[in-house]
Amino acid sequence: MSHVDEQGEQGGDDLVAAEYVLGVLSAPEREAAARRVDADRAFAQIVDAWEARLAPLAAAYAEEAPPASVKAAIDRRLFASASDVARRGKTGIWSSLAFWRALSAAGIAAALLLAVQPLMQRPADLTQDRLVASLDAQNSDVRYLALYDRAADRVSLSHVSGERATDRDFELWMIEGQNAPVSVGVVPSGNTITLQLTDDLRAKLAAGAVLAISVEPTGGSPTGQPTGPVVAAGGLRDI
Amino acid sequence: MTATTAIPAATPNGTPYGTPTGTHDISKLIVRTSLRDRAAFDLLYRHTSAKLFGVCLRVLKDRTEAEEALQEVFVKIWSKADRFAVSELSPISWLVAVARNHAIDRLRARRVPAADLDAALEVADQAPSPEAQAIAGGEGVRLHRCLEELEADRADAVRGAYLRGDTYEELAARFSVPLNTMRTWLRRSLLKLKDCLER
Repeated sequence: MSHVDEQGEQGGDDLVAAEYVLGVLSAPEREAAARRVDADRAFAQIVDAWEARLAPLAAAYAEEAPPASVKAAIDRRLFASASDVARRGKTGIWSSLAFWRALSAAGIAAALLLAVQPLMQRPADLTQDRLVASLDAQNSDVRYLALYDRAADRVSLSHVSGERATDRDFELWMIEGQNAPVSVGVVPSGNTITLQLTDDLRAKLAAGAVLAISVEPTGGSPTGQPTGPVVAAGGLRDI
Repeated sequence: MTATTAIPAATPNGTPYGTPTGTHDISKLIVRTSLRDRAAFDLLYRHTSAKLFGVCLRVLKDRTEAEEALQEVFVKIWSKADRFAVSELSPISWLVAVARNHAIDRLRARRVPAADLDAALEVADQAPSPEAQAIAGGEGVRLHRCLEELEADRADAVRGAYLRGDTYEELAARFSVPLNTMRTWLRRSLLKLKDCLER
């Protein structure tokens, strides 16, 4: 389409993203834009920015309850073989975490190393666009979803469940091989937290490091090593 | 045992209006859906399907097709929920974007005989935006104010394009201006809106 070329010169990505979000593009132009959203993180962010700008217009969509047949059809499509939707299996090793609470501060760091060893089966493939880790543990209801985004070079943590006590903080650690855990930082309370990766942390992740969250005094561990129980841990996997 | 009971049980009759659900809760439901938590997915459907069905109905203007589109939208939400974590959108905006994009794609894929298209355009709403009043809340107030700075018909074209997913051709026909004029109108309007919102 000739006007695509024109607009490429005039407004660039920002205008294409705006037109895509507004909904005025033709089918082939929409398809091309959607492909870029998947492949090009920078473009996806421009599209997101336009979605956010125009989102208040969506208030004009009147709610209307769909007929029950719709949900039934969705369930048939997604869960036709209902037996395979059992909850994700748990690795048995977390049963051993229960005794961590009784350990000394130093012992906890050592135990943490032991416990996460089985998770480090293979290095994470950081050439994948997205890797995910479910951080959880059998003895706690704390659960985070960690998402590594290669294009943006950052890890997003989404809080799923479990609250911290009032005078405690969650601290995120990265543990690689036999090395002592390295603090990534205190996890701010909130829904979704984004951590920009340093070279050091990226190298550890690439080497198969595991993410773990421990309970610490407010402000984080005073010793630089985990001092409280580990309430969630997990390694990155391809999505 | 990990706790999967943080989300309160839904009302017995399943009404989407009975349990007010905040942004925070919808976020959690999406994240749990990305972890293949079916109970969370069911709750997410309960709380958001009416809004997303409204999106599909408005764009597709056909009940049967809107119902099919809504199915596909929730199948997408189930399989792409992890994308939410890397998006910076609010949960409802993210869900609406998934639904709107899908409905508009469907609309574009539809082969409409020219005569039907003309008929559809004639009955379509030309009245000045009832949408304007429906916009509420802080961000909505700002966007509304910025739309007011545009000429009235251009603001209507922006609203109409967003809500119905019209093409440039359809908008040009509706506002009785040449195609290139409409294209120029909308592009300038979008850039003005952005400037205004960033002021």
